[in-house]
Amino acid sequence: MANPMEQFQIEKIVPLDVAGYDFSFTNSSLWMLIAVGAVALFLFIGTAKPQLVPGRAQAAVEYLYEFIRDMLRENVGKEGLRYAPLIFALFIFVLACNLLGMIPFIGAFTPTSHIAVTFGLAAIVFVLVVIVGFARHGLHFFTLFLPEGTPIFVLPLVAAIEFLSFLSRPFTLAIRLFANMTAGHVLLKVFGGFVVALGSFEALPYVFGIIPLGVNVALTALELLIAVVQAYVFALLASIYLNDAVNLH
Amino acid sequence: MPQFDPANFIPQLVWLAAIFAVLYFFVVRPTLPKVGRVIDAREGKVAGDLDAAESAKGEADAIRTRYDEGMDAARKAAQAEVAAAREAAARASEVRLKSLAGVLDGKATEAAERLAGACASAKASLTATAAELTGEAVQRLAGIDVPRAEIEAALAAQDRG
Repeated sequence: MANPMEQFQIEKIVPLDVAGYDFSFTNSSLWMLIAVGAVALFLFIGTAKPQLVPGRAQAAVEYLYEFIRDMLRENVGKEGLRYAPLIFALFIFVLACNLLGMIPFIGAFTPTSHIAVTFGLAAIVFVLVVIVGFARHGLHFFTLFLPEGTPIFVLPLVAAIEFLSFLSRPFTLAIRLFANMTAGHVLLKVFGGFVVALGSFEALPYVFGIIPLGVNVALTALELLIAVVQAYVFALLASIYLNDAVNLH
Repeated sequence: MPQFDPANFIPQLVWLAAIFAVLYFFVVRPTLPKVGRVIDAREGKVAGDLDAAESAKGEADAIRTRYDEGMDAARKAAQAEVAAAREAAARASEVRLKSLAGVLDGKATEAAERLAGACASAKASLTATAAELTGEAVQRLAGIDVPRAEIEAALAAQDRG
């Protein structure tokens, strides 16, 4: 059976070395580029001629944009709408990477199944939150770690816990997405391996392979759902963290 | 797992940064705000249209109220006019009836007087005729020529008796 981890292998397409660092263009970079290309196609077609009564393409873009704006309105308030393009970019990038990685047969690679990529995205959120927080509240931003109404004698402990939880956010954000994508793809590959293994029984060819194949079809549907849900969760958590920076709880 | 191979970190992070920057600055920023503006414009238009509809409705209501008031006033004026006309007509007919009654009363009195006159003259002529007839009857039956004044006095006495 094929190694289920093989699909996550990074292949160098254009080896590149800058000042001793490896800047190679890899299959991961390629699929990120394809994702951005797909998003660009979607957005440029949808916003080519913006009209008061939208056409199909514009309605699709508007639907997604309003989805993000509603999320920001709900979780951050009117102030949060300023960050709608960035949250939208994060959401659509994760969504495109997740969904394109589900395409079978063509050797699609899922960049979001790599912790380096998800951590990079989470770092964008973290840096944004820190910059916005200090820009809006200055040193007052540190009161984020002092929840209101905490008894004074446990305050140091609570502040330490709050600070640690704040620091752990980019890691949880990154690991959640990476783990979901990796687990899903491993599962698909394992059941795919079962199809081959069971289907090659000499006596009754193909018959036993049908069961894991059916499971794989169902899993594919589930993985599509997870691809969308994880993109949503990523954007939702980003906007909740942004709320801390904008409103200090 | 290739995910945890540190050799893969740098190329992925570098390309992620570059590609995400392209996505944000050259794809999302030039396109999405256009849609945002259109959405805002649409909301503004819808709100404006709703306001216009609201004010038009208010205007229509005001017109309706004014119409109703006008109708009420006109109805009241018409009713007053009808009442006045009726009263005037009643008064005029009363006056005419009164004058007519006067005229009729006069005529009745005159007629009664004429009747009384006629009655008296008839009575007088009846007395004369009776006296004449009596005189004639007395002359034929008794052959006495009684003077007229005597007969009249006797008749008058009999009438009284």
